[in-house]
This record gives sequence, C-alpha cells and structure tokens, in this order.
Amino acid sequence: MSLRLPNVARPAPVTIMVHGAPIVAYPGESLAAALIAAGHWRFGEGEDPARPRTAFCMMGVCQQCLLRVDGRLVQACLTPVAAGQEVTPA
Amino acid sequence: MKARFDAAVIGAGVMGCATALFLARGGMRVVLLDRGEICREASGVNAGTLTMQMTRAALIPYALHAHEMWMNMPAWCAGGDVLATACPGLSVAFTDAEAAMLEERARIRREAGAPIELIDGRAAQVIEPGLADGVKLAGHCPIDGFASAYLTGRAFRAALQEAGVTLMEAIPVRGIDGRFVLDTPAGVIAAQRVVLAGGVWLEDMAAWLGVTLPIKVLINQLVVTERLPPVMRTVLGVASGLLSLKQYANGTVLIGGGWQGIGDRARGGLAVRPENFLGNVRLAAHTVPALRNARVVRSWLGLEAETADALPAIGPVPGIDDAWIIGSVHSGYTSGPYMGRILAQAILGEAPELPLFPINRLLQERSNAI
Amino acid sequence: MIFDIAVLGGGPAGMAAATEAACGGARVALLEESPAPGGQVYRAPPLGFVTKPDRDRQEGDALRAALAASGATIHTGCRVWGLGGGPLVPEGQANTPFSLSALAADGAPFTVQARALILCCGTHERIIPFPGWTLPGVIGLAAATILLKAQGVLPGRRVVVAGAGPLLYAVAAKLLTGGASVAAVVDAATQVEWLRALPALAARADLLAQGAVWRAKLLAARVPILAGAQVTAAEGDNALKRVRVGERIIEADALCIGHGLVPATEATRTFRALHVHRPEDGGWVPVLDAHQRTSVPLLYAAGDGAGVRGAAAAPAAGRVAALTALQDLGIHAGAPERLSTENAALARARRAGAAMARMMALRPAMIEAIPPETIICRCEGVTRAKIEEAAAAGAGTINQLKHFTRCGMGPCQGRMCGEAAGALLANARGVSVADLGFATGRIPLRPVPMASILGDFDYADIPVPAPAPI
Repeated sequence: MSLRLPNVARPAPVTIMVHGAPIVAYPGESLAAALIAAGHWRFGEGEDPARPRTAFCMMGVCQQCLLRVDGRLVQACLTPVAAGQEVTPA
Repeated sequence: MKARFDAAVIGAGVMGCATALFLARGGMRVVLLDRGEICREASGVNAGTLTMQMTRAALIPYALHAHEMWMNMPAWCAGGDVLATACPGLSVAFTDAEAAMLEERARIRREAGAPIELIDGRAAQVIEPGLADGVKLAGHCPIDGFASAYLTGRAFRAALQEAGVTLMEAIPVRGIDGRFVLDTPAGVIAAQRVVLAGGVWLEDMAAWLGVTLPIKVLINQLVVTERLPPVMRTVLGVASGLLSLKQYANGTVLIGGGWQGIGDRARGGLAVRPENFLGNVRLAAHTVPALRNARVVRSWLGLEAETADALPAIGPVPGIDDAWIIGSVHSGYTSGPYMGRILAQAILGEAPELPLFPINRLLQERSNAI
Repeated sequence: MIFDIAVLGGGPAGMAAATEAACGGARVALLEESPAPGGQVYRAPPLGFVTKPDRDRQEGDALRAALAASGATIHTGCRVWGLGGGPLVPEGQANTPFSLSALAADGAPFTVQARALILCCGTHERIIPFPGWTLPGVIGLAAATILLKAQGVLPGRRVVVAGAGPLLYAVAAKLLTGGASVAAVVDAATQVEWLRALPALAARADLLAQGAVWRAKLLAARVPILAGAQVTAAEGDNALKRVRVGERIIEADALCIGHGLVPATEATRTFRALHVHRPEDGGWVPVLDAHQRTSVPLLYAAGDGAGVRGAAAAPAAGRVAALTALQDLGIHAGAPERLSTENAALARARRAGAAMARMMALRPAMIEAIPPETIICRCEGVTRAKIEEAAAAGAGTINQLKHFTRCGMGPCQGRMCGEAAGALLANARGVSVADLGFATGRIPLRPVPMASILGDFDYADIPVPAPAPI
C-alpha cells in the first residue's frame, strides 16, 4: 500500500537522490512529505542518538528536519521537490 | 539603625559577585542585591572572550591574573564552572593599515606583559586552519581562551550561598538614605559598607551618594550560529578589536566584537542595527570562510559601561567613608573576577595585590549629600 | 518605496487583513513563508496537485482569490528573518517605518518597509513530551493535517492519534478515509469535558456536525477511543514501532500527537509589545485593545498569533486590524460601520473558538507525569531532571533557565519546548507560569543561512567602526 493518497492528481513523478539512493517523488510536494512517503522517516543521525533528524512540525518551526539539498542547508518541510535534487544529511 | 550586614553589594554581575564572595570569605556578613537576576546583564550575555588582545594595555596584568582564575574557577568558586577553555588567540590584519595598527598594539600589550608574538599569515593558518587566506600579519598570544558567559550566574550562585552571602534577586535598590540604609521594595536594608557594582547603571547609583560619575553606555551586539562541525579552534579577532570569534565545544560559533546596536540604560538592549549585524557577520565570514555554511540562530545585545578615559572605576567613593565602587572595566568580563578580588582585599583592609583605579580623576563635581 | 501596511503571515487572518487594507486604498505588502497563502488550515496544495476541494479548501480558495484581486503585493515562499524600525529606535527618536528583512524563495535578500504592520503569525503546536517523542514516526497533529490535506501523504499504515482537541478526530477520520488503519485515538479529554464544551460549540453548528461525522466514522471502523488517557511512551529502534498507553501496548508505524496550539509571538516580543499570559488563549499573547492594536503604535496582531481562536475566527480579526490601521493612518475615514460588522462576526466566531481553546489548554497532570529523563528541549537535549535541577539551583525565570541549562537556546529558540519547560519550572518553583516571564524576542525570527544574507562584498566595504582605545 502506498502512503500517497490515491485521489490526488499529481504532476509527472521525478527522481531525486536521497542519501545516495534514488527515490520517486512529485515536483512541488514538500521534501519532508516525499521522504515520509518513501519510508525515509529518519532524515539523519543528528548529534545524539536520542534525537535523530526527522519531520515533526511540518510548518517550518521545529528545525528538526534539516537536510542538505545540493549542499545547501534547508528545512525539508519547507522545500519543494524538484527533479534531480541531491539530498544528504545536514 | 543597627546594620544587619557588614557590606551591601549592589549589582550581581561578575564583579559584584566576586567582590561579595571574597568579602564573605574574609569574614564579612554580606548582602548582594540585584534588580534582576544574578549575572543576567552584561556578565551573562557577553561574548565570553578571555583574551589579552582585546584588553586595554593597562589592564593586561589584571587580565592575566583573571585568566588564571577563570581557568581554575571550580577550585575557588565551590565547583562553579563557566566551561572556561584555554586556547591560543590570534588577532589578524588583512590590510597594511591594520598590520601597522597590529604591530603597534601588539608592542604596547607585550610591554604590558601579554606574550604576543607577530607571525605571518601562513604561520597563523597553521595555528588556526580555519583562518582565511590574505592575512598579512597576525598577533599570536598563547594565553587566550573563552568561557560560556551564560553560565556565570549559575557558577557564582552556589559559591555565594556556601560563603554565606545573602543573595537578593529581583530586589531593585531605589536609593540610599544615610550611611547606609538601602531603600528596597523588600524593606530597608542597613549595612556598614556599600559597594556599587551596577555596570552601566553605576551613574545612577553614584547619584544616590551625591556623586556625579558620567558613564557611557555601549550597546554591544552578539550573534550566534547553530551547532556546526569544527570550523575553528582559536579565539580570533582583528587588529581593530572589532571582531571576536570562537567556537564552543557544543559547535556553536559566537560572533562579537562590539558592533553597536540600539538601546540605552532605561530600555536595555533594544534591537540590533541591521547594517551592523550585516557588517559583523561579514567580517566574521571573511575571517573564517567556513562560516558561510552556518545558519544564524540568534542575536542579542549586552550593555557595556565606559568611563570618560575608558579605564576602570574601582576604589573608594571619594569623601564617603566605607562606600566603594567597581565597574567600567573595558573587556570587563575577562578581568572581572580578579577586579572583585582586589577590591575585596582593599575593603577588608588588606593591600590589594595590584593597584585599584580610584575614581577621583573622573568626578566632575561632588556634593556630600550624606 | 514605503508601503502603508505590511502584513506578516498569509494565513486566514493575514489574507483577509491584506485584502481589506488594499481594498481600502492602502499600498499593502503581504509576506508569507509557504509557497502559497493559506496558512495551516486553509493550506493550498502544491502547484500542479489537484484534489477534491473540501470545506476548508473552499474557504481558503475564496480568501486567496480575494487577496489576488485586491492589488496587494504578495511575497510567498519567503523567509522573514529581520524586524526593525517602529519603536526600535535610539533614545529620543520618533518611531520610524517598520522594516522586514527577508529572503525570497530563490534566496535573494529583500526588505519591505511599511508605516503600519499587521502581525498574523499564527500558531505552532504544543507538545507535552513523553519518553520516545523524538523518535522518527512521531509527528505533530497539525503536522499530520498538513501532510494529509496539503501533501496527500499518510504518515503511516497503522497510526495512533493522540493528544487533545478537535484535531484528534479530524486527523483520525482523514487517516481512515485515506486507507490507513487507526490503531487507537488517545484523547486527553474525558467525555465529561466534551459534554461541557457542547453549549459553546453550539454557536457553530457546522463544527458540531463535522465532529459528529468524524466520530461516526471512527465508530464504524471500530477504532478504540481511549478517553482521559495519554501516551506514556513511544518505542522503536530506528523509527516508531510501538506506542504505550499505560499498560496497553499498541503496534504502530506513526504516532500523530499534539496538545494544543501556542500563539507565535516572536514578532510582538521583538517589538517589545506588552504581553499577558492567558492559558485559555494558548499562553503568552500580545495585549490588544478591542480593535487589534498592540501596545506599540501602528503595530497590530490578528488571528491565532494573537490568541488561539481557530481559522474560522481569523479573517474577521484580520479585517478589524486592517480597518483600524486604515483609520490610524488616515487613509480611510469610512471604516467605522465595517468595523462594527466585523467586530460582531469576530465575537461570534470567537465563542466557539474559545471552547476549543479551553480543551487544548495546557494540562497540569500531563506535565506532572513526565518522567525525569524525558527530553524536553529537543534542540539542546535538556531533560525534565535538568530543568528541575536548575530550578533548585536558583533559576527563577525563563531567561534564567536558558542560561542555566541551554533549554530553548537551540535552532527552534524554545518554540517547541517553551510551554512544557515553563510549566515544569513554574511547578518546581511553586509559582505561576506568568511569573516566569517569556524569552526575550530577538532576530532572526527563523534561523537564517549566513550565505544568503552575506551577499557579495569586498573587505574594504565592511564599515568597521573605529577601534577601541589601547
């Protein structure tokens, strides 16, 4: 079962690289949503095993979903997916 | 009125705390009052730099003693700790004019006792691999370091209590009637001696005693990044003194240097000036290029006091027996605990290890109101 | 150019405020962090995504359409990090126009200046920590709403929904509709609390009906509803596997949990507006007069950021703020009648909102139940035990707690932990949360990448001030 709701019409999917492996995502959706839909709840290890990087607030407040996209530090919940993005841990 | 206390210290910053602590250890019954919380003004929000290269030459002997105190704080402060870290310090020059300034300043400070040697940019990059290219000359001082200033209140608190100091936070002194009856919302407090240790508010405090002591207020801006992988390992500054940069063990990088924000005595540190915020972070990123990858998390302001000649006000209040004053020490955090110690020595009737800075030179007029 | 009115935040309050102000003849700029205006409840789907519009979408679309037609300048996808001007001026100087420093969607810096500023900054979620809340797979309730409604993604296949307030049932019902299994709804409120809220909710029959539909859906799917209960732990290795509710262990791959909403007051705090602590409004809120004026001249606040009353109440509040600003600026003299209409609408919408807000107010028993080693400040890893240790060592205010523990000093600047940390400190000190004060507001409003603000510069261009005396 896909985690993406079936009754949503989406643009044509694209591929992005997440920690070196390709995942399929839809341009415009938030990177956080794309990662969750792909089963990647753990965005990075952070500095403390008790507090790995992950999505929590989805609205740009909590700062837990920090990632690098093409080397740039971004919040996954505020960053739209675009074809060819290279996603690495913060 | 019978005095409950041998000494009342007004202002619980680093100098007030140190003075109160050493007075109490010297056998006095001490009350330490603050209108707010312990070390929550300049003493708790400064850049925590423990450097000789931003210290005024006249203060270097004091700063060297204080450096040692900071590094051994738990030993004399009942375990209280500000995570003081010793590391080399570099003051760098990017232009010929700065190099000339650096040479002169390093020489004067060296003569005052700071072991500063001049090195070239390449040698500076060996000491600090995070340093940018293009450094023409650097002052290198092996005695440098930094502390987490925000821990200062916590660090002093337990020691003060252990020494028997009565700490009264959030009790603003409103005035002093007679020798010496402190008017506070918690009632009057009588003490045989009074020590004014109110930072930028010293001018108001001196006025309680009828003394006019003009104090200039500097509104120093600070900026901190979120935690980063290691990008530097020294305390870095520039020849003019308008940058202080260090990375804490937790990875945050603190950017300071005394760029001015908006504020005043009455309103406190109100806001950073956007153009000075930008100038300060540009200077930082120019000096340590890896900071370009950082995110700024917070800015804030700390109020620094300065006398007319930018030298400290430490000593007896002229004409009023048993009234003392301490403050306006340039880079005051660096020298603070030692200044408190020598003032306490003087108040206890001992000869201070190093001379005080009597304020007679600063007084415009005086009336004996008491 | 200096705008007449800038609006910070493009949720329902901000959209309505900007629309009203622009239609009233003011030059208006609206700044919003998301790619499109809407806010959290009325959030638009990503560009190119099409879904069947529900009631919230329709409300949002109407506000968006009016905004687009209003002539207001709209900056979306931008990060506002700097606030200046207004009362933030040197001693003795008159207030200046407000200035907002921002980064555009492409990272380019820009500044908006305006004579008046309406803050519509919304809320963020309150979370009362429990062991394991930092595990991947644990997500906020409002976050789940965004994930489901705007992004069309389920947080998991077998989900526990927990916390307080109406969002619980909305999220649970939406999960079922989307094909997920809801392993349990864990509601901090008891049935009695819900019954007590009914009379106030009756002012909004639509909400009541909606709630009944959600509950019926859960009942039909035989979803266990644990009332007056709370999650005691989330467990798993790399991600969530199990949720504990007392003795009960529930297998789940996602936990959506929230304990109410907290007004976002960083902007009003930065401008030194007066604030008051009102638990029924969500916590610290700016002091407002009857027309949405803060204590700072020409600074207004509206919507949930000025006290949680829900999305339905927000547009009217935004309009009142805009009409007041138009009057105060002398742009529009004919506003008083509109003002009284909008004020009446606001009063009605607020009654239902207030009942909901009471359900979502911070629950002291949940604070008490937090085990000592539980992380409270997620950015800095500060536990309950550390907060209580600091309280015993003399930390008596929120700002002092920060100094003693680093609680709230990380990238989120206390937005996620502030409520729980405040309640813990207040309990430990035996005072009320109001006595602890609030964290001083400082820029940046959000962490800001140095690379974006630095721009291109030469060393010689840095205006290094005169050196200190040697």
